[in-house]
Amino acid sequence: MGQSSIQLQAKLMREYYRDFSKYAKGKLPARKTAWVTAFTPVEILEALDIQYIYPESYAAVIAASGQEQTVLEESERQELCRDCCSYACCIEGTLALEAGPRGLPPRPDVLIATNNQCNTLPNWWNILAERYGVPLIVLDYPGEAAEREMAYEYVIAQHRDLIEKMEALSGNKLDMDRLAQLIENSRASVAAWRRVTDLLAERDIEPTLLFDGISFLITHRCKPETAALYEVMEEEFSQTPPADESKPRLFWLGYPLWYHEKRYMPELLGECRISGSNYITWWSLDYDGDTPMEQLFSAYNYTFLNLKQETKDARLSEDIRRSGAVGAVTLHNKSCKCDFVSARNIPIPQAELEIDMIDRTFLDEGRARRQMEALLESICAG
Amino acid sequence: MNILSFSGFIPEQICDTVRFIRHPGQRSIAHYCGYAADFISRVLDDDSIDGCVFPRTCDSTRVLESYLAGSGKFVHRLHVPARRDGLAVAYLAERIKGYQKAVEAHYGVTLDNVPQRGELVNERNAAVARLYGALPELSFGAYIDMLHAMLQRPLAEQTVPDTLPASAGGKPVYLVGSTMCSAGLASAIEEAGMNIVGDRLTESKRLFSAPPVSAKGDIYENIAASMLHNRTSPTQNDFDSILQEDLAEIKSKGVLGVIFVTQKYCEPYDYLYSVYKKALDKLSVPALRLTLTDSTDGRRFDAAIETFADIL
Ligand code: SF4
Ligand code: SF4
Repeated sequence: MGQSSIQLQAKLMREYYRDFSKYAKGKLPARKTAWVTAFTPVEILEALDIQYIYPESYAAVIAASGQEQTVLEESERQELCRDCCSYACCIEGTLALEAGPRGLPPRPDVLIATNNQCNTLPNWWNILAERYGVPLIVLDYPGEAAEREMAYEYVIAQHRDLIEKMEALSGNKLDMDRLAQLIENSRASVAAWRRVTDLLAERDIEPTLLFDGISFLITHRCKPETAALYEVMEEEFSQTPPADESKPRLFWLGYPLWYHEKRYMPELLGECRISGSNYITWWSLDYDGDTPMEQLFSAYNYTFLNLKQETKDARLSEDIRRSGAVGAVTLHNKSCKCDFVSARNIPIPQAELEIDMIDRTFLDEGRARRQMEALLESICAG
Repeated sequence: MNILSFSGFIPEQICDTVRFIRHPGQRSIAHYCGYAADFISRVLDDDSIDGCVFPRTCDSTRVLESYLAGSGKFVHRLHVPARRDGLAVAYLAERIKGYQKAVEAHYGVTLDNVPQRGELVNERNAAVARLYGALPELSFGAYIDMLHAMLQRPLAEQTVPDTLPASAGGKPVYLVGSTMCSAGLASAIEEAGMNIVGDRLTESKRLFSAPPVSAKGDIYENIAASMLHNRTSPTQNDFDSILQEDLAEIKSKGVLGVIFVTQKYCEPYDYLYSVYKKALDKLSVPALRLTLTDSTDGRRFDAAIETFADIL
């Protein structure tokens, strides 16, 4: 019998964090290491055998382990304002304290930041660059703000420049066939993940499994294990009973609450259930194009948060329609401004909750409860 | 044609714009800086404004378009690159051409005096730089008010006086921040016995430090290169050069303290502050941080400023 999705996930997590406790004690990584943001074209790094680490993901792990308050306080002592994205504050505090729940990430040789999700990340990477004194590469993605041809030339030139720099760092030469294969892996991961997320609307699936499951599409998207994991998840989910159709469907519009055991707040949802979420679609990148360079351009220039408002509106409306949701829990996330504004034109009733995805003290639970009650009432009355 | 421009990232060589400084807007967008929210309000509320242009340089400016697109006015987002190398210069040059074309198409005009405007900008910047050089002897409050009034006027009518009212002297301090929108804050600092001898403000140092634009060669590439090679904003992701340049000026001018004036929810300056403060600590130069709620926050922060002056 094959391994369950939980076992496969545990294995991938173990491998990813395997040496963090040793790094905390000063061990240096065996391979050249880049710290990257969540929408970095990591296929290039993987092809050149450069290890890549996601500080954002580690911040989520820190919050899930319940240690976020200690590190957030330390980050304030490091003069980082608590208004900043809590991912950044969490990591800043962890690095200053030189301790995290799984240890520390390996020391970077290079820092790579992209602005295809927000402008916070390149700013945050600047303070990492000051801390480690290593080169910072910013990849600038115009998104839909520029005509495709112009954006294409600009992005491709930056990707070529990145390849050159990473070849010099790693001492390896990029093999285009290998890059093409890795992009194929990413495509397979995305395709399998889409099939998994499609099941949320119809089956009795705990959304927590999807909020946690997507992390592999972030950290491991071009590795073959990811598609394999998602195929197992698809099979498992297909065997769950159909969703209880007497429960009104809600759309979760925003980040998972990493500090919450369930990643969302079932305690506030009454008889409703979550049938869709925008977050779990964000890394379903479209690697369109005939050549690896074109495919990387399409995937990383047109990430959801880099689209024009009308395109975001259309995509979000379609996701909501497919989920069958009659209301939405919309998160005003202190950390992630772009996320909330991208959801401002949604076509269904919603409760707008003030939260932070990392800092649990941000939520006024009484207020959120009243807002949710009002939403549920309006849905029932409708 | 009355276009409201958001920041120093809008090339003045293309056409006249009115620089946004402050507006008493009532709009508040959760966790966004009030300066951006007030800009949105002014575009939507002010009938004398028939268009707007803004960059995408921080998370607050990133969302302006989604609030303004339906305004019925000319709305243009200029994508200013997040890098400063040759690739970015070539790309920005194309974006500037796109901005010019969009203005021409919307207003039915031909903008054929870009090189001449470039020359005017060069001359004006040189004049501002001269005044800045004399700052220890001049009132910074008068200097900043003069700049704000100047940036509201068409380029051809922008004049820079040879001198300004004298500074009352005092403990030399340095000012860091985006736009010094708060009316009266500079005076409050001066009245507390401090003398602002230098800054890294959008409308001052960052404005006049743009290298002159040559009319020879590709004018758009020259404008782009100039825009990307002035003293940078933290939104341009080169904190290292900001620290090097500012610390050199701080040392050379014998600055005793640094005042950071930022907007609430302005992440670029929040991140910059965290490394700037540490660098100042190493030099034993104290820092005071003042956070404004929006573009018309008129608080004088008297108590904090006086305490800071006493520390110095
Ligand atoms: S949470 Fe939002 S602001 Fe923070 S790094 Fe992610 S996209 Fe950027
Ligand atoms: S004040 Fe800060 S957050 Fe606001 S627009 Fe300027 S740089 Fe962006």
